[in-house]
Amino acid sequence: MTASASEVSVEERVRQQVERTIQRSIKGLEYISTGDPAVGLTPKDVIYSRGTLKLYHYHPQSDEVYRVPVLLVMSLVSKPYILDLTPGQSLVEFLLKQGFDVFMIDWGIPRPEDSKLKLEDYVLDFIPDCAERVLRDSGEDEVSIVGYCMGGQLSTMYAALHPDGPVKNLACFTTPVDADGMTLFRQWTDKRYFDVDRVVDTLGNVPPELLYASFDMLKPAARVAKNVQLWDNLWNDEFVKSYRMFDRWAADQIPFPGECFRQVTKDFMWDNKFAKNELLLAGRRVDLGNVRIPFIHIVAEHDHIVPYEAARPLVQLVGSEDKKEVMLKGGHVSLVAGGNAIYRLWPQLESWLGERSV
Amino acid sequence: MADKTATADPFEMWRDWVANSERQWNSFLNNAMATDEFSQAMGRMMDVYLNMQKNMNEVMGRYLQVINVPTRNDVMAIGERLSQIEDRLNQIEGALARMSVPSASGTAAPRATAVPRPPRTKKPAKA
Repeated sequence: MTASASEVSVEERVRQQVERTIQRSIKGLEYISTGDPAVGLTPKDVIYSRGTLKLYHYHPQSDEVYRVPVLLVMSLVSKPYILDLTPGQSLVEFLLKQGFDVFMIDWGIPRPEDSKLKLEDYVLDFIPDCAERVLRDSGEDEVSIVGYCMGGQLSTMYAALHPDGPVKNLACFTTPVDADGMTLFRQWTDKRYFDVDRVVDTLGNVPPELLYASFDMLKPAARVAKNVQLWDNLWNDEFVKSYRMFDRWAADQIPFPGECFRQVTKDFMWDNKFAKNELLLAGRRVDLGNVRIPFIHIVAEHDHIVPYEAARPLVQLVGSEDKKEVMLKGGHVSLVAGGNAIYRLWPQLESWLGERSV
Repeated sequence: MADKTATADPFEMWRDWVANSERQWNSFLNNAMATDEFSQAMGRMMDVYLNMQKNMNEVMGRYLQVINVPTRNDVMAIGERLSQIEDRLNQIEGALARMSVPSASGTAAPRATAVPRPPRTKKPAKA
């Protein structure tokens, strides 16, 4: 009986492998001949634009919404559609269905003349400007901010410099605060070998290829392994669709505004001023202790871009009484998007934000 | 023994091997890249790249000037001036909007879009 079961099992497995091999050939051709899947499809309006910046308002998808609107702030180095990948895999869509009124800042693709933009422009001008537009559009006097990665840094700086501002709640995802924890990036930008002034003075904005290569170098063998994994799963439509969306996003880097890069390299990477509460923006010190609103920091256990050591001090540094840190399984990107985020991060955010949005 | 035969899948073993190899290679290469020697080599490569870029910018700028075509810097200067104009318009627009917000009826400012707005009455579901 046992022998027969194993024989059937072997036979079944061989049949399955033959089928998958045929499917791989067919789907492989499809993969090569079709374009990237569409992303960022949740219906929205551009309610404000300024230079390359666009402020989106997503169409509500529930009969009633929470009183406090939500403003999503993305990082400066990647495009925001990771938060709105595709129906069923979109944080934006999830929040809309849970009854949130959702807005998002899309920084756009910096133009050569944007190389002069500094952190001050983002923290003291663009974010406050967008927050004011959100308030005006919603008719409310408070807003919750959700920042991802460097978007979390910008949002925290904004909240710290505007303690009497309209921010009611602040949620950060995998936000770096302590450069000592970013071992490889810190090593590669060592001031003895990396002349950031020359880079910015020569190039203006930092080209996306350079950023892409540096992110890739954090996991140098991943590209080969991913291709092997893709070939292995080429028969699986869902896997291929998801792979293409993530791969497209990862490769879809945008230039980093030059002056901002200079500031981040010197003040954050070299002098670690953000963690020491010594960062100065337009002469004003960013003291994270001034953040006294409800605060949550959600970090990823296997984040190779922002290791936990770099993210850990944030919750200790903010001055809020109502604050917490949540560590979830996953990596830097799978924390916010994809199959795992649906069951891990999104419900956490919804329950935390929901009870603070009335 | 029979159970082992039933669960031993050569493809699964191969997948495990790929995953383990990736981890080992990542760890090995990360260690190699976390050295001063690597940073120094990267710095040198960056120097070469920046020199090439600088020379190319200069040569191209001179060439465009000779054939009487605006250079990159000229276009950037126009872009900057346009941005300044846009910023000023935004400031004026913002000031006008602020003046119109506290209307006599106490209602909110007109919305930017005509999408239906559900009431803001939602309460969190009780656990």
